[in-house]
Amino acid sequence: MGVWKFVGRRILLGLVTLWVVSVVVFAATQLLPSDPARAILGRDATEASIKALQEKLGLDRPPVEQYTSWLAGLLTGDPGESFNARVPIGEYIGDRVYNSMFLLVLASVFSIPLSLIIGAYTARKRDRAFDNITSNIMLALASLPEFVVGLFLVLLFATRYWKILPAVTAIGAGGPWEHLDQMILPTATLVLGAVPYIARTARASIIEVNESDYVEMARLKGAPEKTVLWRHAVPNALGPVFQVIALNIAYFAGGVIVVEFLFNYPGIGGALAASVRVRDTPVIQFLAMVLAGVYVLTNMLADLATVFVTPRLRTRLK
Amino acid sequence: MEPREPRPKIPVLITRRTFLTSASAAALLAACGPGTPSSTTPGGTTGTTQPGGTTTPGPTTTVTGGKAGGILRVGTLGGANDILDGQHIVSKADIARQATGWEPLLNFDPDYNAVNTYALAEEVEVKAADNYVIRLKEGIEFHNGKVVSADDVVYSITRLLDPDSALFGGSALRPILDAGGITKVDDRTVELKLIQGVSTFKDLLCAYTLTIVPDGYTRFEGDVSNQIGTGPFKLTEFEVGVRSVHVRHENYWNAPKPYFDEVHIIDFADADAINNALIADQIDCIADVSPAAVDTITGSGMTILNSSGGGWLSIVMAVDQEPFTDVRVRQAMRLIVDRPQMLDQVMAGYGRVANDLFAPLDPCYLGDEVPQREQNIEEAKRLLAEAGKADLEIDFFAPNDTAGLPEMVTAFSEMAKEAGITVNPVILDGGTYWGDEYLKRTFATDYWGTRSFLAQVAAGSLPTAPYPGDHWPPAGSDFIEKYNAALAETDDAKRCDIQKEMQTELYEEGGLIIPFFQNQLDAFNPRLKGLVERPNTLNLDHYGRGFQELYFEE
Repeated sequence: MGVWKFVGRRILLGLVTLWVVSVVVFAATQLLPSDPARAILGRDATEASIKALQEKLGLDRPPVEQYTSWLAGLLTGDPGESFNARVPIGEYIGDRVYNSMFLLVLASVFSIPLSLIIGAYTARKRDRAFDNITSNIMLALASLPEFVVGLFLVLLFATRYWKILPAVTAIGAGGPWEHLDQMILPTATLVLGAVPYIARTARASIIEVNESDYVEMARLKGAPEKTVLWRHAVPNALGPVFQVIALNIAYFAGGVIVVEFLFNYPGIGGALAASVRVRDTPVIQFLAMVLAGVYVLTNMLADLATVFVTPRLRTRLK
Repeated sequence: MEPREPRPKIPVLITRRTFLTSASAAALLAACGPGTPSSTTPGGTTGTTQPGGTTTPGPTTTVTGGKAGGILRVGTLGGANDILDGQHIVSKADIARQATGWEPLLNFDPDYNAVNTYALAEEVEVKAADNYVIRLKEGIEFHNGKVVSADDVVYSITRLLDPDSALFGGSALRPILDAGGITKVDDRTVELKLIQGVSTFKDLLCAYTLTIVPDGYTRFEGDVSNQIGTGPFKLTEFEVGVRSVHVRHENYWNAPKPYFDEVHIIDFADADAINNALIADQIDCIADVSPAAVDTITGSGMTILNSSGGGWLSIVMAVDQEPFTDVRVRQAMRLIVDRPQMLDQVMAGYGRVANDLFAPLDPCYLGDEVPQREQNIEEAKRLLAEAGKADLEIDFFAPNDTAGLPEMVTAFSEMAKEAGITVNPVILDGGTYWGDEYLKRTFATDYWGTRSFLAQVAAGSLPTAPYPGDHWPPAGSDFIEKYNAALAETDDAKRCDIQKEMQTELYEEGGLIIPFFQNQLDAFNPRLKGLVERPNTLNLDHYGRGFQELYFEE
């Protein structure tokens, strides 16, 4: 089986997954209690005005018809209009998607190299003081919820002890990238949340590889320990690490809702929560699909990357 | 009738702190404060409002050079569900934005008289209880330079009357006015002929959503250029759920106000974040602070604005459903409540004990004249036994999206144990609570803002009311006849007498338990001047009347 065939099969599988997700998402939004028309018009609504709005929003059509027209819209790049804001979804949510992606990239850029370095170093110094201390700190960090870490950082650097950093984001004109100082604390919170997981996986994986025959062989032939680690051990240990990184990136994309609330970051997590509250079905559906897309994409990339760094898997494709 | 306050939108992730903060959001919102009928006497020539009103708006009516300029950053709890419409609101953030750009025909002064300060009418002449003539101030300009005319008034009121538009400001007008009753007299004058006599009509005109928009106005749908009003600031940027920018209206009629060059209104989804932003000096003032956060905020050098209000959380007993058809059971329930303790538990003491009557700012309020009702478990037990309900078991409902109500339900069920009855707290998701079963439950909770007595009766205590939670009045009561008599009565003293009779009935036999009126808590950086602590219907001293009264200390 060729590499491209493998890639193609993965993409196809990804698309099937997304289609299944679209059915589930659509069905789930249909099952939400209370009707969007009623939610929009509020308690002053008359039965007639609710009915008129339902017609306008197409809510009176059979579910299957609603689903197919929604899916067709998604495929042609027209996810519809927000019920609540009454503007096209792209316009309504576009900036927030960019913002979330920006935070995701920032958090990844810092957390991935940092975790790999920590993982490799602790693996090398296994069971020594540094490894023990780092492991315990990371275990503690991993067990703390993000809002605790975030609140602690805010108290420390913004509101109580040293008032040197902004406490929240989205103050001032322009996108978040124009106020990088405001990005420090949210990014740090996410990095502190993600590093323990990736670093511990990297450590375990490298230790396992370190004990393998070929690393033993490299050592025996007299290669310096540094070369053994970075040249022989790390590349082979990356497979599981990629999986953890993929999970973390997907998590950054949508699961950072706590961080968004704490730092008032205008991302999609908060928008999703708000949409559910006001029963803004098109936005809920769109954001759910975006998040599913990110999950499918990162997992697919992680699988591909794993295959490419693992000779055993790579050669099997030939 | 008045429109309903918007439900506070609180984050899905509810911490105890965010939850409490929303209490103030929920309960203290008010469409329109109560009016003082003394200045609104219909049926004669005395009912006009003189320019300038009777009071000065605050301590900042003189201008020094030091006040001008700068950017005010306002934090408010809002989210992706924000909208912008000069005559409509959904969330609390919407109210702050609306206040910058749009103004009503009349306004309440601090004593709750309908006056023309911060308002566009020069006078509203009362020709009869059902006939009013609105005369506009001269030369008031919209943000685009157009002068406000009678056509704009006709359009604005007609727009509010359209039931399909479902505008927040309109539900109070629709029952008493139809489009045929609006007549343009000349460029500055509009005459209104009501469907029925409403002696408190001028109070209705004070509703903050009953504003004047230019002829042809439509709500914000992505384009800021059509968001034209008369207010002190003009919208230039609006990113839904994130931030809006409002710049100074250079030709504002109440010159030299406003003082700031720009006002930025920034949305926050979380109460911790908004407090942190204030403490870290990223914003200058915030609407709604939870009682729990007061110490942190003052400890960081910020100032709390603690305004008394007439907002209340109520325990609602449906008087036409078992067991509350028996007045003795209703009375027993009222005697179970330890009001000071409930105020402490629910509002951390920020408020004042109430006496099961609403509209405390109404001049005819009876609650201070009748004995303060206190907890009396023995008497409650006796009444319950007499009614054959000594071992009553009942479900008591509250929504999870309105802070204070779940706490109230829990506190009540504890107090009820002392009287030997079982009250099961049932806390429902907000969407479910306010859904089809809302107003139909036997034993539930609700929240209200400030209104005058008759307006509150119209909103919640009549069969025709939009929110008749307690299904008042019970069979055999002449409450409705009294209400109609009060509405038609143009003599203040006589109307007051009727209102007091109605309140006596509510005090003795009513279906509501009103344990307290809560305060409105806001916070600001002490550098910001112009905010005054006084009874108010809206946060931040009525948002500094569109922020025109606020300025930075030099």
